[in-house]
Amino acid sequence: MIVAIYNARNVCKLLYAVETRSLSKIYKNGLKAVDDISMRVENGEIFGFLGPNGAGKSTTIMILTTLLKPTLGEAYVAGFDVVKQAKKVRQNIGYVQQDSTVDEYLTGRENLELQAKLNHIPKDSIKNRISDILNLVELSDRQDDAVVTYSGGMRKRLDIAGGLLHRPKVLFLDEPTLGLDIQTRYKIWEYIKTLHKEFEMSIFLTTHYMEEADRLCGNISIIDHGKIMVTGSPKSLKNALGSEVVVFEVNSDLKLGDLLSEIKNIPVVKDVTTDGYEVRVFSSSGNHVTPKIFQLASYMGIKIESISLTSPTLDDVFLSYTGRELRDENGDHYNRKKEREKMRRLRT
Amino acid sequence: MILTDTYTIFWREMKRYRKSRSGILIRLIQPVIWIIVIGNTFAGTRPLIQSVGFHGSYIEFMAPGVIMLTAIFTSIFGGVNTLWDRRYGFMNKALISPISRSSIAVGKMLAISLISALQSSLILGIALALGVGIADPLMIMPIMLIVIAFSLGFSGISVVVAATAKSQETFWGIINFLGLPLFMLSPALFPLELLPSWLAFLAKLNPVTYSVLLIRQMMTGTVKPFSVVLDVAIICIFVVVMIALASYVFTKEVSKPF
Repeated sequence: MIVAIYNARNVCKLLYAVETRSLSKIYKNGLKAVDDISMRVENGEIFGFLGPNGAGKSTTIMILTTLLKPTLGEAYVAGFDVVKQAKKVRQNIGYVQQDSTVDEYLTGRENLELQAKLNHIPKDSIKNRISDILNLVELSDRQDDAVVTYSGGMRKRLDIAGGLLHRPKVLFLDEPTLGLDIQTRYKIWEYIKTLHKEFEMSIFLTTHYMEEADRLCGNISIIDHGKIMVTGSPKSLKNALGSEVVVFEVNSDLKLGDLLSEIKNIPVVKDVTTDGYEVRVFSSSGNHVTPKIFQLASYMGIKIESISLTSPTLDDVFLSYTGRELRDENGDHYNRKKEREKMRRLRT
Repeated sequence: MILTDTYTIFWREMKRYRKSRSGILIRLIQPVIWIIVIGNTFAGTRPLIQSVGFHGSYIEFMAPGVIMLTAIFTSIFGGVNTLWDRRYGFMNKALISPISRSSIAVGKMLAISLISALQSSLILGIALALGVGIADPLMIMPIMLIVIAFSLGFSGISVVVAATAKSQETFWGIINFLGLPLFMLSPALFPLELLPSWLAFLAKLNPVTYSVLLIRQMMTGTVKPFSVVLDVAIICIFVVVMIALASYVFTKEVSKPF
């Protein structure tokens, strides 16, 4: 019986590319960077891990890649315990760091050779693997040039190629398109999709760009202040905000507060946010809300400059869970009360 | 596996060294100045040196010292790229790969010691060009082996300091504090026999002393079997201790957040 339960638990671990149970990391200065995180990433999915600066994304990735030890809780990657079976974890992961880590004075091919040797790829297959991956990221013609002559996008592609060379089961991509131009960003997204299809690996991706998460990820978690605020598919999270958003602009903020509280009282309205003179009303039925907004505004003598009906974006989801205020990188000065209020509003 | 891992890191460090050609020459300037300036400044101390049984000129006396100077500074500075590696992510890349962590430290040390020997052999060549004699040219290979062994041990100091220091400033502060005194507290420039007894005592605790004495004997061809065994034994113990210490400290320190 006990053995059966034990075996069942082990099988459970293998079902997930990443699994954490009540994971916490408290730094020496008392900062709780990761606070009781439990999550599961299915095998073979692209999972997005989103959060503002200082939310705890990097610390979590460092624990999952065995660079840091957790203070409390457990974490499994590719079915192995990151503390007790660190070496096994290292054999099964690839990690493309946020900043480029390629050796500038080595050529593209030499960098990949180094990566291959670090990851114990059998000697006789190194050459072919490198040639294949260079083709895939379209760097074959520049492979013998020193990396110092590469553009930012080329370096990133080389970094990604390096993370994939040993065909890891789980690939960690930390902000893969940070600081790249739009063209390169689209290209990198294409590569990620192709690679995901070709190697059938699980990808754990952190990003600031909601569009990136929306395009690539099957599921996302939004983390803030070391805690997971919400998890789900981008679509379901957007739907939870209401299927439609009415965006309107007023010409002054006089009596705007009164108008907003009246709008909030409309039964189908789920949330209202403002940014200067721009108001966003989330609701399950924008068509019904729009005339009511006009009625209320003209009754109160507020002039509406423009109005439009759109769908919620992942940006809206992100902001509604993490708030609008800028963060101190240390995560201090955090207004929990405000956050809780926001959460309550969202639920009702 | 640990040997191939060590070789991987060694291979990377040597690739980087080969691509930094300008550095190779810049690092030779200082030892050359030492030979020319100090070698001539102290030329008048020849009677003193002869009084302890050395029959060559002062430059011939101090040339082994300058070879060791090159070895000391090349190897004690060599670990500084550990700090860059930690700052720019290569270290993380190596740490999350399945290679053993001590092989990172030892691979770096091996590369540093080979680089140190290459730099020292250039200085030896310059010394020979300046008229320093060598009793038996066949001795050059064994001399270089001693330099490699010594540098391997000394690079351990550099790796330990680099793994512990969190910043360039700390690293250079400690390294400068260690480098010159270790060079001065040896018979590199002045015979041990003429030092005050307390300084001579300190010098005898310094592994640099035994390397200098050995290389000087080998260059002048006055090698005495007994002292060779002692010198080599001390250098070997030093190397083994430093490899063990560097692997231990490195493995412990790199798992801390940087």
